[in-house]
Amino acid sequence: MVRPVPPGHEVAVEVREGPSGGAVLSLSGALDVHSAAGARLAIAARLRERTFQKMDVDASGIEHGDASGMVILYELAHGRFTPGVLPSVRGLRPELEKLLGAFPPPAMTEGARDRPKRHSVPLEVGVATVGLGRDVVEVVRFLGRQTMALGGIFRAPRRIRIGELARVFEKAGANAFGIVSLISLLTGLIIAFEAAQPLKQFGAQIYIANMIGLVMVRELGPIMTAIVFAGRSSSAFAAELGTMKVNEELDALRTMGLDPSSFLVIQRVLAGTLAMPLLTAYSMAMGILGGVIVTKLMGFPLALIWHQLSSALGLSDILFGLIKAVVFGTVVAGLGCYQGVHTRQGPSAVGDSATRAVVASILMIIVIDAVFSVVAYFLHV
Amino acid sequence: MSPAPGAPVIVVEDLAIGYGERIVQQDLNFEVRRGEVFVILGGSGSGKSSLLKVMIGLSPPLRGRILFDGADIVTAQGPERLALLKKFGVMYQSGALFGSMTLLENVRLPLDEFTGLELEERHLVALTKLNQVGLLEAARRMPSELSGGMQKRAGIARAMALDPGILFLDEPSAGLDPITSAGLDRLIQELSRAFGITFVVVTHELQSIFTIADRCIMLDAKRKTIIAEGKPAELRDQSRDPTVRQFFRRQAAPEAERGTG
Repeated sequence: MVRPVPPGHEVAVEVREGPSGGAVLSLSGALDVHSAAGARLAIAARLRERTFQKMDVDASGIEHGDASGMVILYELAHGRFTPGVLPSVRGLRPELEKLLGAFPPPAMTEGARDRPKRHSVPLEVGVATVGLGRDVVEVVRFLGRQTMALGGIFRAPRRIRIGELARVFEKAGANAFGIVSLISLLTGLIIAFEAAQPLKQFGAQIYIANMIGLVMVRELGPIMTAIVFAGRSSSAFAAELGTMKVNEELDALRTMGLDPSSFLVIQRVLAGTLAMPLLTAYSMAMGILGGVIVTKLMGFPLALIWHQLSSALGLSDILFGLIKAVVFGTVVAGLGCYQGVHTRQGPSAVGDSATRAVVASILMIIVIDAVFSVVAYFLHV
Repeated sequence: MSPAPGAPVIVVEDLAIGYGERIVQQDLNFEVRRGEVFVILGGSGSGKSSLLKVMIGLSPPLRGRILFDGADIVTAQGPERLALLKKFGVMYQSGALFGSMTLLENVRLPLDEFTGLELEERHLVALTKLNQVGLLEAARRMPSELSGGMQKRAGIARAMALDPGILFLDEPSAGLDPITSAGLDRLIQELSRAFGITFVVVTHELQSIFTIADRCIMLDAKRKTIIAEGKPAELRDQSRDPTVRQFFRRQAAPEAERGTG
């Protein structure tokens, strides 16, 4: 579609017989960014009406132009409108002649316009697979180093930067109480409501309390909290450290003789390791509260609900959930930091790191949870 | 259709810039003439880049008018503002190239959005602009693969895509080595002479100022206004203002003045 041409930017196109039997294409007016598209259509329409062996372009009537307009003259001069005929352009104003002269010859522009070619699919799959393997090894190595460093910090607690630790702990832990409360309470309510109907058929509605207790303490409490932690804090760690990497702040630390791992990463991993079990314990309590509310609404007395809960839940279940939470906290915080310090260059790099941190964290949460379940099954925990 | 060479293309009247209650510069009155290389200079923190942002319509002034061929960019809205924005191109300090696009795609973007040209023609115009800044060979490369100087030249090519009559350059020499910086100065001179482009350049690089500037204004952070206007060599040799003399002679401020600007 040709855009409307503002007043004063019109171009007139005319074809007439030339003195030596050829044709003369004459252009007048303004040949610029506004009129170029219309000029191309008009020229193509005029030239379609007849064929020529020879043609000249009379550009003396062009009063104003720019590169977007001169591209039409360039195409004319290179025979793009008249295959087999190379018209000469005459009468162009000197300032426009300079613009037309700035166009590179066709040989120079060949191949310059294509994007770099993509590799074949098998090659890309292979490269990606090798890259994934390397990434896994790197992540495991990184997490191992952080775990060792955590152990070192417990031996020499003075190395902990308490102010930074408290700040991260507040952001990742205390500030997450609202969202964890809401999600856990609603999860407890939803599961209790969903379970009420099928259990009613067997007259077993009181066992909602047992089920909610076990599900929230052993599985959903730790997992929901870990996923919230991954979404809120792992991505934040990746973005924060990624921005520091892009701004060369990590390099600045290294050149000061400070290791970014112990200066920045350890505080975050430690904050995650400490905050996760606390948040998880809270999440367990809120989930159970949701279940208790539903069971109470069904008419069961609180004493009976408490009895069911205490008979279903043992200390080992609570410890099982909390130990999982500690591992989730360490791994999710570690993955966020890993993606942050391995941020690449470029405008989308920080965003990519944050995305990778969340995806990898959620994947690892599920994998670790599966490992815990298998181990618990064989150990009868 | 276009103003004659030497006619004012930008007129700044009684302009004050700042943030909230804080005035950075005030009583700014100057004009930029067609075809000249006009340099805005001053020490760090004097408000050069802030003035540039106000002139290109990115920030509102506290008061005053900025007229492009008689139309005020401060009050222009809708199509009128869009028409004004097409009168100039801007090269940002970092180049501000879009990282997910090749150089060719970066330069082609304004042509894609604002012209009805065929793809082949848009390619040709974009390649011509890259050729004009000496980056034809790098057309397929991504911005992250370029040096700082190349990114700035590509930024100029993109700013020129729609052939605006005016180019604003923010600190073109910042962070560049002297050879690359001199190359950029030569490019500015060539584009100015060959195509009659008007340049408004923000810089504090003395070498660049003496090489490219036809006229300049100097902003002062303490007095919060223009303290000198004219040709750089004349200001260096004839100005009686101590700040102007210090600036052009590259002298440190006296002990009592340090830390104030």
